[in-house]
Amino acid sequence: MTWFSKSTTTFGFLLLAHACYSAYEHSALQSHRAASLSSLSATTQQAAASSSLPLDISLETIVATLVITLGLVLNTAKLRPIQWRVWAGQIERAGEEGARNSSGEVDRDYVGNPFKLLESRPGFVDIRKQRKEFAEWVKRQ
Amino acid sequence: MPSHRDEESAHLCLGRLVNRFGDDNERVMALIGLMKEADATDDATLEVVLKEYEALLQENPTNIPIVKRRVALLRSIGRIPDAVTALTGLLDFSPTDSEAWSELSDIYFSQGLYSQAIFALEEVLVLQPNAWNNRGAAPHVHQIGIGDQNDSAKQLAEALKRFCRSIELCDDYLRGYYGLKLTTTQLLNDPPKPSKQAESDGLSPPNLSTLQKLDGLATEKLGEITRRFTAGERGWRGFEEAEIVAARELLEKSSSTTVR
Repeated sequence: MTWFSKSTTTFGFLLLAHACYSAYEHSALQSHRAASLSSLSATTQQAAASSSLPLDISLETIVATLVITLGLVLNTAKLRPIQWRVWAGQIERAGEEGARNSSGEVDRDYVGNPFKLLESRPGFVDIRKQRKEFAEWVKRQ
Repeated sequence: MPSHRDEESAHLCLGRLVNRFGDDNERVMALIGLMKEADATDDATLEVVLKEYEALLQENPTNIPIVKRRVALLRSIGRIPDAVTALTGLLDFSPTDSEAWSELSDIYFSQGLYSQAIFALEEVLVLQPNAWNNRGAAPHVHQIGIGDQNDSAKQLAEALKRFCRSIELCDDYLRGYYGLKLTTTQLLNDPPKPSKQAESDGLSPPNLSTLQKLDGLATEKLGEITRRFTAGERGWRGFEEAEIVAARELLEKSSSTTVR
């Protein structure tokens, strides 16, 4: 659904840009009219009416904001499980696969089982044994 | 032997770490020692490394990475009692180090001192109550062969409880279900006589129907996990190959005994 959310976001930005441009045009037009009116007659009654934006432009801005928000929310990554056992089960069951984002890369903050250190105990590593095991593994390759 | 290039790149990495953090950083000191251990070719060199660790500890007795290296080296050269003494010394001034408790339990377990191993594991349990992989149950199972009959019922019930807790903390935890299956099979095949003492402790094993239900659940789950892993289903490929093989063997063994 990534194309859907992206097109929704783009559409929202187009609407927002359109609303901004309309507001700018409106104010430019109003100030032009006010200037021409004041040159004709010295009354300043029209100036108050020109300061408020038409309803359709305000509505378009609000709708555009909502559409952009919807598009961005749809594009967020899948939420992590909030229950401990579900989250832990996902780590055990899927491993790295469960932490991939939409572009297929493993999340940068993925550490696997955070309690792995109770089993691997890196502070107490027996380097000579590991070296021997590695040498045997190399020989078998 | 690892090729010359591997060692060269290891030295290069260590050099960069020293440049970045200085050689008086505790972790870097431990890594330097680790490198010397790896390069040592005879016992005399290892003794020299051990002497260096001791000299460093004379300067700063609370240098935790170095204390840990010293324990590991003592264990590696077979001086187990010294390693245990050093490790308990470490735990005296740093009692919340769950890694050290876990190592202590492993050393005791390798020496057959199961009750000490269980004690150390219970410390880990207190420090890391949510760790589903705490192997609290493993020594309980192994103690069965040694403890007398009254004791073994209690140990099995305890082991059952630990495995159930592991599964409660983690869906589809292969090793948890494996242990559960092993324990229930043992309890079903050889039901221990109920002893008054175990019952008063609240540690008597559950009744027969509960046991059968647990056994059925473990069998079903192990079957599902092995089947889906072998089929290479998406999201089920994170298990260890060796563990799957072991689970399948356990299932085959138990099904063949029921047929007989």
